[in-house]
Amino acid sequence: MKENRHGSATTEVISDCEVKTQRAFDAPISLVFDALTKPEHLRAHFSPDPEPLHICEIDLRVGGAYHYAWYAPGGRECSFRGTFLEIEPPTRMVATWLFEGWPGDDAIETTTLSEDDGVTTMTTVLRFKNRESLGDHFQGDTQGMQTSFDQLEDLLATLT
Amino acid sequence: MVRTPATIDVFNAIADEHRREILDVLVGGEMPVGAIVDEIAISQPQVSKHLRVLSQIGLVRCRAVGRHRLYRLNPSCLQPLHEWAAKYESLQNGRLDRLDDYLTELQHPHSHGNTNQQGES
Repeated sequence: MKENRHGSATTEVISDCEVKTQRAFDAPISLVFDALTKPEHLRAHFSPDPEPLHICEIDLRVGGAYHYAWYAPGGRECSFRGTFLEIEPPTRMVATWLFEGWPGDDAIETTTLSEDDGVTTMTTVLRFKNRESLGDHFQGDTQGMQTSFDQLEDLLATLT
Repeated sequence: MVRTPATIDVFNAIADEHRREILDVLVGGEMPVGAIVDEIAISQPQVSKHLRVLSQIGLVRCRAVGRHRLYRLNPSCLQPLHEWAAKYESLQNGRLDRLDDYLTELQHPHSHGNTNQQGES
């Protein structure tokens, strides 16, 4: 019985403008790369909402653009777009990244893949152009402040 | 040397490795600067500078007891960052779990993953 890897992605803030996420998949590296870069695959897994992507364009070459968009419940459009800067199938891909919900906070996303014994580990580093961009994303959200050492410990665990 | 950025907020306060170490040590409770120095590999003047930055933005509180100054965490100050990091991590987890289900479905079309997604059509 294969272990379920759900919920195993780890995220850490690695500098004042970079967030790193790591996740392992029980799949060969070429399949993971295809699943991340081919429209027919992205359509199947990218949208978190019941609505599928209504825009899924990928021009997979250096200088080529990508654009994914879907409608969230309530009708708001969620849209990601960018341009490929480096493509080295199946191990590495660098692209600009703009989530239209965070206008002005464009970033560069570096995705690296490595395979070991049939398990492919994907590491993405999202680097905002300046520290204010990353700071803005949490500073707007100060509702419900609570004092809790448990939460602090959780946080430190994610940061160290 | 400790650089103090022009603008200081929770985010760049914790982006420094030594400041994170100091916060980690203070999870153990209120303590004077000497006790913090004992726990990490940097000098007292450096620890003091970091404590000044952490105090300035409210992550650490300080009180005088006799001749000593005792430092303690003010964790509520980290809450916005915690919420942001947790939200980002949960978004990433959602996205990557869907990718995981999809990869499983592609490789084992007839097995039962936790997916209700359709494979390639």
